[in-house]
Amino acid sequence: MKLDAKIPAGPIEKKWDNHKFSLKLVNPSNRRKYDILVVGSGLAGASAAASLGELGFNVKVFTLHDTPRRAHSIAAQGGINAAKNYPNDGDSVWRLFHDTVKGGDFRAREANVYRLAQISNQIIDHCAAIGVPFGREYSGLLSNRSFGGAQVSRTFYTRGQTGQQLLLGAYSAMMRQVAAGTVTVLPRREMTDVVLKNGQARGITVRNLLTGELEAHTGHAVLLCTGGYANAFYLSTNAASCNVSAAWAAYKRGAGFANPCFTQIHPTCIPRSGEHQSKLTLMSESLRNDGRIWVPKAKGDHRPPNEIPEAERDYFLERRYPAFGNLVPRDIASRAAKTVVDSGFGVGPTGQSVYLDFRDSIKRKGADKIKEEYGNLFDMYYQITDENGYKAPMRIYPAPHYTMGGLWVDYNLMTTIPGLFALGEANFSDHGANRLGASALMQGLADGFFIAPATVGGYLAAGKFEELSSGDKEFTDSARQVHDRLNRLLAIRGKRTPSEFHRQLGNVMWNDVGMGRSEASLKKALKKIPEIREEFWKDVVISGADKDFNQPLEKAMKIADFMEFSELFVRDALERKESCGGHFREESCTPEGEARRDDENFSHVSVWEYQGPDKAAALHKEPLTFENIKMAERSYK
Amino acid sequence: MTNNSKNFSVTVRVWRQAGPKEPGKMVSYKVKDVSPDTSFLEMLDILNDNLLKAGEHPVTFESDCREGICGSCGLVINGDVHGPDEHSTVCQLHMRRFKNGDVITVEPWRVKTFPILKDLAVDRSALDRVMKAGGFVSIPVGSAQDANAIPVEKDKAEEAMDAAACIGCGACVIACPNGAAMLFTGAKISQLALLPQGGPERARRALGMVEAMDREGFGNCSNEYECEAVCPKEVKVANIARMNREFLLANLASKR
Amino acid sequence: MDITFIKRFAFTSIGRKAVMAASGLLLGAFMLIHLAENLLLFKGEAFYNGWVDFLLTNPVTPFLEAALALIFVAHIIAGTWVRVEDFINSPGGYEARKWQGGRTIGSATMLYTAIAILAYLVYHMLTFRLVDHSMGFFQMVTSAFRRPVFVAVYVAGSAALALHLSHGMQSAFQTLGLNHPKYTPLIKVLGLLTAVAMVGFALISLYYLAGIDLKAAETGIEMVVIQ
Repeated sequence: MKLDAKIPAGPIEKKWDNHKFSLKLVNPSNRRKYDILVVGSGLAGASAAASLGELGFNVKVFTLHDTPRRAHSIAAQGGINAAKNYPNDGDSVWRLFHDTVKGGDFRAREANVYRLAQISNQIIDHCAAIGVPFGREYSGLLSNRSFGGAQVSRTFYTRGQTGQQLLLGAYSAMMRQVAAGTVTVLPRREMTDVVLKNGQARGITVRNLLTGELEAHTGHAVLLCTGGYANAFYLSTNAASCNVSAAWAAYKRGAGFANPCFTQIHPTCIPRSGEHQSKLTLMSESLRNDGRIWVPKAKGDHRPPNEIPEAERDYFLERRYPAFGNLVPRDIASRAAKTVVDSGFGVGPTGQSVYLDFRDSIKRKGADKIKEEYGNLFDMYYQITDENGYKAPMRIYPAPHYTMGGLWVDYNLMTTIPGLFALGEANFSDHGANRLGASALMQGLADGFFIAPATVGGYLAAGKFEELSSGDKEFTDSARQVHDRLNRLLAIRGKRTPSEFHRQLGNVMWNDVGMGRSEASLKKALKKIPEIREEFWKDVVISGADKDFNQPLEKAMKIADFMEFSELFVRDALERKESCGGHFREESCTPEGEARRDDENFSHVSVWEYQGPDKAAALHKEPLTFENIKMAERSYK
Repeated sequence: MTNNSKNFSVTVRVWRQAGPKEPGKMVSYKVKDVSPDTSFLEMLDILNDNLLKAGEHPVTFESDCREGICGSCGLVINGDVHGPDEHSTVCQLHMRRFKNGDVITVEPWRVKTFPILKDLAVDRSALDRVMKAGGFVSIPVGSAQDANAIPVEKDKAEEAMDAAACIGCGACVIACPNGAAMLFTGAKISQLALLPQGGPERARRALGMVEAMDREGFGNCSNEYECEAVCPKEVKVANIARMNREFLLANLASKR
Repeated sequence: MDITFIKRFAFTSIGRKAVMAASGLLLGAFMLIHLAENLLLFKGEAFYNGWVDFLLTNPVTPFLEAALALIFVAHIIAGTWVRVEDFINSPGGYEARKWQGGRTIGSATMLYTAIAILAYLVYHMLTFRLVDHSMGFFQMVTSAFRRPVFVAVYVAGSAALALHLSHGMQSAFQTLGLNHPKYTPLIKVLGLLTAVAMVGFALISLYYLAGIDLKAAETGIEMVVIQ
């Protein structure tokens, strides 16, 4: 596997402009002759489909939902960053670039991040123009807030539903192209394989979820916009259908998988309550602007929180990080909560949570003001826990939320398979080892609206394509393999349900590969996961038929892929013997327990190459160099 | 761990239908040992795991985000659209709303524009076809001016956001005595009519989306506001009035 | 000639409803005028007959009557069309179904009150319009109001009208797009008042049925006259 990031030469400010100029263009009258297959209809997928459609390419969009508008981008709450500097507080493209590289703990590619910061402003312009109802000031101008510990206010938002509004904006732009005839949406399709011809990605096979039929679709380029894989943990803030299957299928066809162990654990989630819980609900981290996080100073203090006097409370974030206090980045806040819980200071019926207390800010600002700012979050908390956050502190605990790792892509967002692109959370490119708040939406839309239309066009203009039809051997072979796998699963008729296996896998992932990872825990996981997988293929029970609307089968297919993928995840975590961002190796920390990065040995992207079903994946490294930002230890003290 | 002593049993009566053209019927299942902290859909998950183990095919129902924003879930529970909680989706409903021994009737959304696919899952693609008919602003990528070049009155922006909050679940259609999609369509037309960005295409959008809505076979509005009462995002019927206004003005005052 | 814009009033959901709403509002206004006219009964036989004479001999009247008939027909056609569609579209087959919003007796019975009003209108035309008017209008009206069967029908008709308007008036404003947080509450109140006013028809007929005017004459008490 050759890793050529294709980073353009020249000063960082000019790289993207120069590169766009160097890319070949497809003649407008020829564009409709190119078929582009977009898998996934979230921010990245919908925006890519819309802009490629606007250019005149012939685009097909596949989504596993009943309508593209349900993609999980819709659940993002907080906002979207841009370097507009409207508030005149010192922001700039350079500062956003700097903050993102630093926030990612120096494990992202400088050139990509700079481009992201550059494009961020265009995203806001475009989204405002297509009718996204951003929050505004009385002047009629756009409103900004500070988010996720940033020292400038660069976050644009639509109340607590920014992801929803941006997704609906991208969706509407895409529906405009559906009406114009350049985009066709194929809903209720799960991608099952990428089909290659002469080493190029030339199509996909998908399973029609209503009929169970396997369909073959040919194309000149395939864009995977299939999101992240936090559901490997079973319980996460992701939607139930989020999965790794499409990326995993691409990996098995030769696409390198980068940094799979980089996972973001979000600090402000509602803690788990019991065995049957199906998901963890995130509450916007804006809560940390006014809420104070604490645990009792005494272990096993079971008094109701309001009866614990001030002197007996440990505001551990304020204590450990006096400069940033409760506003430290997500990875640090999450890990600190884990540390106190692991030491036995956790609260609540399970002991697996910490308090998020608004008592002082209610006193300071008044209950009405708090209600105005966070009312919907307090309501959400009440609905789920039946507890009133105004009267007693809420309980929170970190939960898997976002995956920085993903398919390796070059500067063009192309994977190691020519013609196969990965956009949005599905790729690894911009967030390094930790993503800053309000940056996921920015990246999804930058990739889809602005980057892919240029680079996919460049690839098509320069490429040579052989004739191919959906009846060709490449497709029938792929369909046969998928069909066999489906039927192997259906034939097992064991005793344990897919969810039970998923939960079992998730427990291993959470306990051994979660917020704290050690060589011992990772090795333990590496032993357990193949056992669970073997058990799964012997004892899972799925009913119904292959050629039918069969939800248990859909679920089992996803879990089967998670079972394989998780092992790679753990191997990557084991290989990376440093702590960086969301990846915390217990062996690699300072005496005070802070993460210690090892730039000498790990300043690289780990890219894994598939070697066959029973062979260990091969590791390749893309070295990371930092020419514009001085590598430094992240300190939030 | 959860306090198991609080756990209880319920009987769920669920609509089972093997396929779009198959006959359906209500089937009763007992679900035991349900924690009050379980969500309603998690209770159905438990039921489904039990069914799988018993060799029966689980109940098909749709849900995804389980935090009330994706709009996938939708059931009629004991006669209530999206269940008994006000302005909420089914996924946000928790079992503490029920008590031991309750019989809970769970039905799919029944309206001819949303045909049943299987059990409790229905096809809501008609709503996408309404959106396609004009629910957008025709600005291509790359051609936008600076975002602050278009000031929008704050109150208008808030009102547009109120309308834009729609999650496309279709509850309004189900709550409507006439199976109308007026609240859904009205919300989109309103959002873009309230914002200057939507201005140039107002007439085209209002005529196109209303005609598409009619083509799909959605019903008429009898101004009874059942839709507003169940809408999980509290979208207001003032948006329907705005749509009516937009449509009538477009018809009488535009060139179309 | 492009008549799409006219067709849209017939062939789109909102167009048809607009026809129904606009005609409904005009009919509601007519009913208020009609009520005012009925109150003229209290001004005595001579005055009332004089007013009716004026109306019948006025050259404008036939046009107004024709317009009213047209409005009425438009209301009926649009309403029937909407209602038939609603019937086809109405979701059905639930074991349990609860209403949670603003469905009222008035709104749920629009079709039935409409039929009742139409039936009453036919009866009204047969008793007042298509009969021999030689005895004079005042006598014709007041004698009808002394017949219990007639008054019973008349009271029922007024009640149906009141119920119909209780939903119809405010609904018409919403349909025509006139909804505003400042004015809508006022419109709703005025709509209800219009509906309540329809009870006035019934009260006038009951006044004559109870013979209050005769008793007043017997006792020599001056009748309440609106000057």
